[in-house]
Amino acid sequence: MKSRRHVLATLAVLTLLSTACSGSSPEDSTGGGGEGEQGGGELVWAIGGAEAAVGGLHQQVTELWNEQNPDSPVRIEILPDAADEQRNQQALVLQAQDSEFDLLGMDVIWTGEYATNGWVASFEEERGQLEDAGVLPGALESAQWEEELWAVPYNSNAGLFYYRTDLIEAAPTTWDEAVEVCTAGAEEAGIAPFVGQGAQYEGMVVNFLEYLFGAEGQLINEEGTESLLLEGDAGRQALEFMVQSQADGFYAPGFNTMQENEAVAEFQSGSAACMRNWPSFYAQLVGEGEQAASSEVQDSTGVTTLPTFVDEGTTGVTGGFNIGVNAFSENVDAAKEFAVWAGTNEEAQLLLAGGSLPPVIASAYDELPEGDPTLGLVGDVLADEKTGSRPPAPTWNAISQAIQQNIFAAYNGEVPVEEALTTLNDEINTALGG
Amino acid sequence: MASSVSTAQERPSGAPPPERERARSRELSESALGRVFMAPSLLAMTLVALFPILYALFLSFFEFVGREQRGFAGLGNYATQLTDPRYWDAVRVTFTFTVAAVALEFLIGLGFALLMNQAFLGRGVTRATILIPWVIPTVISAQIWFFMLNITPGFINAALGLGDFNWLGQRPWALISLILADVWKTAPFVALLLLAGLQTIPGDMYEAARVDGASAWQRFTSITLPLLRPAIFVALLFRTVDSLRIYDLPKVMTNGANGTETLSILVQNYIVDQPNPGIGSTLATLTFILVLGVGLIFISLIGRNLVIGEE
Repeated sequence: MKSRRHVLATLAVLTLLSTACSGSSPEDSTGGGGEGEQGGGELVWAIGGAEAAVGGLHQQVTELWNEQNPDSPVRIEILPDAADEQRNQQALVLQAQDSEFDLLGMDVIWTGEYATNGWVASFEEERGQLEDAGVLPGALESAQWEEELWAVPYNSNAGLFYYRTDLIEAAPTTWDEAVEVCTAGAEEAGIAPFVGQGAQYEGMVVNFLEYLFGAEGQLINEEGTESLLLEGDAGRQALEFMVQSQADGFYAPGFNTMQENEAVAEFQSGSAACMRNWPSFYAQLVGEGEQAASSEVQDSTGVTTLPTFVDEGTTGVTGGFNIGVNAFSENVDAAKEFAVWAGTNEEAQLLLAGGSLPPVIASAYDELPEGDPTLGLVGDVLADEKTGSRPPAPTWNAISQAIQQNIFAAYNGEVPVEEALTTLNDEINTALGG
Repeated sequence: MASSVSTAQERPSGAPPPERERARSRELSESALGRVFMAPSLLAMTLVALFPILYALFLSFFEFVGREQRGFAGLGNYATQLTDPRYWDAVRVTFTFTVAAVALEFLIGLGFALLMNQAFLGRGVTRATILIPWVIPTVISAQIWFFMLNITPGFINAALGLGDFNWLGQRPWALISLILADVWKTAPFVALLLLAGLQTIPGDMYEAARVDGASAWQRFTSITLPLLRPAIFVALLFRTVDSLRIYDLPKVMTNGANGTETLSILVQNYIVDQPNPGIGSTLATLTFILVLGVGLIFISLIGRNLVIGEE
């Protein structure tokens, strides 16, 4: 009996110690490692989102490469759906200077952080090659930090407005109109008016910025030194719209736990009249493929550019992914070769276009896939002067976290609009002041 | 660690003196040899456990912008955090979660343990069934609970006819959902620990009590509970300490939204998401002190129990 108690006491102490370890050093995880040895020339591409899954566009692109380059095949390591989680996974590996990932699917906003930390290899030498291949200047800019190129643009992106053509006659051009027609259509069919990205994560930040830019607002100034959230009325207008939408039920039930996939699942099953989402879901909703087989809205999906608050043009937040190469990879040269190929090879880029994922080379837009309006719409969005981008600065994450905390609390009615905006404005300025 | 080390050293000192002197004259004494044998594992412990703790403590005194160190902050990080309502919210959420989850787990686990301790037909199957939730990795069960509770696809709302009840999207239901998911997962673990305790209680005691005319309730309160006390303390300690550092469940189910931001979520937010290793380390240190404190209270209780038991 006595010795058993000693065992218990020792176990108790061990538990405490294990707490100490996990509590104080979540960064010390070393990752798998050793991947490079077994696969010979195999390259691991860490990328997430719907298109990284089996059968997705990224998989098709790697299959194309693997056929042509059997010596250095690329294998996709599927990261989580949410962009913040993808960054966390990559950051853990890169912070530990691990070579587990060779290629990194980088959201356009991570360039500054990755470059500053020395996590990615420079592509400055390949710049000419990319320019000759006709990579769009805007896309190239998103892969740049402090005038050096750190990644190869792979795909561009901008949110679009989906609606049910059987319930809504004319596509809305302002958010007020959208509330009107989506609500009326939803009531007629007994479904929810609008789905989008309302969970507390990066996707919600993009949704908020689309409202903000759509009200002709700005988040930060050109020099990236100061928050412009409280300039003019746009910030209040954007946030008040969200508060109102949540309170009045324009946002579907469960909007505040929704990410891209939940939203598209609702729309696809015919449970929502309107949706804000990325163009690449178009194929899934109306196409003829396996994915679209279960779509209830195959013949009734309409798509247009996002509404604004000013009844003029459209708006958007440029998104997309670049391909970076892990600076600690054992195959930097082969990895770079793949990155440049994926961003400039016409066949690869046309694969993306075929799946409504906006390509980054100009020639891919010359012959748009027939019957798919999304790429043309993305072109309109990218050309509109209200369309903005999130700065690819190292401080972006702190800013994004501040937006997530304050805007989420405010639109769920936990904090008054004015207070949330003032706090957010201060927090952005603090982040920028560093 | 202290208690087990000191008792390990006491035992040889109780050995007869002549033998001991002989041992000393020839070579290392038994206790010294013991220390030598323990040195490698102590060293390993120091490296993997103590070093990160001290390093986090060290980092918590510095100011960071992003991952760049910008200078000495003294206790500045602690002052900011201890006056930040977000920190106290996390403390409140963590403690609410811990108290509710551990209490429910204990009651349900005790019930399971008593059931599993009975001899009846199909006992093996029952035991296996009860333990299944505990065998499933937390991230996976958390994802399953997310799918079941979330509006899309929302099996629970469909099964209970609740319509569009937003379990994970409103206070306090998000936290209640987490507590339920945790109880579902770890009540079997508590049951397992308590079952081990129950099996050390000799059957003749129950027999004797029955002969003396004790009712089932009397047998439970006068024999089972007192003799089960060490196992209960250990089960409560394990679960309390585990719950205080809960991370995976809220990370997957709510990502800290809607009043479910626990201390570990907050720590991870500052260390990886923001990132600000200074503040993150400060929060990690504060969490460590908190968990250590609660743990020490438990250990002192176990210690006292041990003394009473030896009388």
